[in-house]
Amino acid sequence: MRDLAKFRSTSESSVVRIVVFESAGSGAATRSALERIGAEVDFVSATSISACVRAVSAGDVDLVVVVRNPASEIAAAQLAFGTDAPPIVAVIDSQADEPAALDAFRAGASDCVRENTDYAEVLPVVALEQIRRWRQQRARAAASRKIAWLESLQDAIVNQIPVSLIVLDVDGRVVDVNPEFCRAFDVVGKQVSGTRLEDILPWDLLDSGAFQDLIPPVATPIQSGSRLARTRGADGGSRVYDVRGQRLDEAGRVLIVLSDVSETELLSQRVGALERYNENIVLSINSALLVVDHTGRITFANPTAGQILGRASADLVGRLVSDWFSPFDDGPSLLSRTLADGVRFKGAEAMIRLDTGAALPIGISCTPLVDDDGRTHGAVAIFQDLSEIKQLQQQVLQQEKMASIGQLAAGIAHEINNPMGFIHANLYQMSEYLEDLGTYLDAVDELRSVASGGPGGAIEAAARRLAEIGEGIDIGYLRGDFSKAVRESQEGSERIRHIVRDLRDFSHKGSAERTLADVNQCVDTTANIVFTMMKDSVAFEKDYADLRQLRCYPMELKQVFMNILVNAYQAIEEAIGRDGARGLIRIVTSQDEEGITVRISDTGVGISEADRPRIFEPFFSTKEVGTGTGLGLSTSYAIIERHGGRMMVESVVGEGSTFSVWLPFEPPLPEAERHSPAPEQSP
Amino acid sequence: MSCVLIVDDEVRILNALERSLRREGWEILTADGPEQGLKILAERSVDLVLSDHKMPGMTGSEFLRVVSERWPDVVRVLITGWAEAVTETEVREIGIEALIPKPWDDAELKAVLRRHLG
Repeated sequence: MRDLAKFRSTSESSVVRIVVFESAGSGAATRSALERIGAEVDFVSATSISACVRAVSAGDVDLVVVVRNPASEIAAAQLAFGTDAPPIVAVIDSQADEPAALDAFRAGASDCVRENTDYAEVLPVVALEQIRRWRQQRARAAASRKIAWLESLQDAIVNQIPVSLIVLDVDGRVVDVNPEFCRAFDVVGKQVSGTRLEDILPWDLLDSGAFQDLIPPVATPIQSGSRLARTRGADGGSRVYDVRGQRLDEAGRVLIVLSDVSETELLSQRVGALERYNENIVLSINSALLVVDHTGRITFANPTAGQILGRASADLVGRLVSDWFSPFDDGPSLLSRTLADGVRFKGAEAMIRLDTGAALPIGISCTPLVDDDGRTHGAVAIFQDLSEIKQLQQQVLQQEKMASIGQLAAGIAHEINNPMGFIHANLYQMSEYLEDLGTYLDAVDELRSVASGGPGGAIEAAARRLAEIGEGIDIGYLRGDFSKAVRESQEGSERIRHIVRDLRDFSHKGSAERTLADVNQCVDTTANIVFTMMKDSVAFEKDYADLRQLRCYPMELKQVFMNILVNAYQAIEEAIGRDGARGLIRIVTSQDEEGITVRISDTGVGISEADRPRIFEPFFSTKEVGTGTGLGLSTSYAIIERHGGRMMVESVVGEGSTFSVWLPFEPPLPEAERHSPAPEQSP
Repeated sequence: MSCVLIVDDEVRILNALERSLRREGWEILTADGPEQGLKILAERSVDLVLSDHKMPGMTGSEFLRVVSERWPDVVRVLITGWAEAVTETEVREIGIEALIPKPWDDAELKAVLRRHLG
């Protein structure tokens, strides 16, 4: 059937839904007639107006057939359906009069069929015609709704989007612009249509070349790519536009789209500048910078890192940092601690092992790279080669040592000169003794040769002569004193040997790495040097506890003890210069679970309250010029800090001072926000 | 016979000096410090004092100053390893006849003493 094919070609359902409004059973003939329309028919039978309305409002009803109902019912149904309702076909009795059909039309029926003998042929034709019209009407309504929606969408786009739109005609004249264009190019309220682009766009924007081949009548591509154009705005700021063109129609009209991308441009410029800035810093800083992932593999290294580690920085990427970063104080390296525990370190001192096997002291700061959920996924290490600084530090320390020895020079000279004096004199004397002995032995030889065969008188004479010589050289005294002189000289040279050995030990350069050492021994050997020099004016008391070995820089600690002892000695000299008494230096060592304490007390002049806060300052000295460098205690303070320890002073003017040094067995890890404490003071 | 008093807190120095001077024909007295030295000076007639400088309690120059005040005729000689310890003014004031450096040269020491003891 032709009409059926038409249904199927539309998007509408091929099933025809028909509501039959009938009295009980009255529509049977109607339904069988309607089944002949050739499509699948879905009948909904309704016996009341309300059932009819329910069926219609359920939707997709193509036709309502009212079977032998009065026109008033049709009108009521029509009213209840409202507008936009499916057509109604009224079926009237074959006996009904003519006005009945008219009434049905008046009540709103779209067509009317009489139940004549040809009813079964007529009704399907009528029904089909009504369904076709209704479906056409619905399709038209849907299309016009879509058009209206498209129009409002276009209106919204053109008027609301923050993009400037220009439509040009085939001659390159402006047809229309959107409100954003008027706002952006300040042409609000001006007559724009009919003008040319050069009348409404800044010249520098047009000159940028971005509009080339977009303006008719030059051959315009269907759609151009994006180009950038710049203009200097009235406010002096530069604005950047993304320019695109599109041919709109066969008439040759062109749409030009200008998007203001100044902000994006500015941001990307800033990002670029920042990136270059960061890159410049990273590449040019004098510090090495390594970025590692959570496994400890290097993901970035700057050139300085390459220089320090002795490789091109590109070759470092992918290698394990543990290849260089040695264990710290027998534990994992600081960088691995940062990776494992997320701890930060700032300005810590550590050692790295170079490929050549050499150890290099570095100052290192480690920062964990933490992602949003708090996990450490890598770390940044910044470090510097400290070997030069370390060398300078050692030089300063060495000079400090030499300076403190210089302060003891008078004592050293005395202590060496005394034994040298008597050794020298004894040697002189002993050579005389040897000469005397030579003379005596000559006489012995003579006596022996005479005795071996000479006459008795000759023997007597030789013996007398031997006795005379023995008396002359005082052989008895000589025998006793010779060995005494040898013994004393040996003792003297032994004393010099000790002094020289102590001095040599003391002035020896320390190792750059921490070593295990006995603090008692450090303080005792230092005290011995000082004691040798000052035994005339100072008595020593020592009270050493059994101490665990301490991981430290022993030579640096000796320097600290030397500084304190020299100060003590000078304070005592000053005090006894006044009252002539003998001074006392008392050294006490002790240990608890955390560390070792060394207390050195003297009976010197003491430190005035005014001076006490300043004694750890560099170059602060109360001594006469030439007596001290003024660096002793500040150097000592720095050394003790480097050991993670503390240095304190107690003093009473006129009674003496006590310096206490506390050294921890486990130096605290250098933490990020750790600040050095101010020198501690007690009264 | 001339009498020489040697004062030094280091007994080995005393011994060595005594050895050196033993056969010069002088009487040699020794004291292990200024205190004992003053005691001997009070008891004996001494012609020359040879004193060390750095001694506990009293320095050699201080000791010789006392000697110069109480026994101005006694020749005063200082023997020291640290020449800067005594100023020239002190040497002049106290009337120290000679400064012998330590370690000393035996022949030089004897020559100086002979000159003053005749």
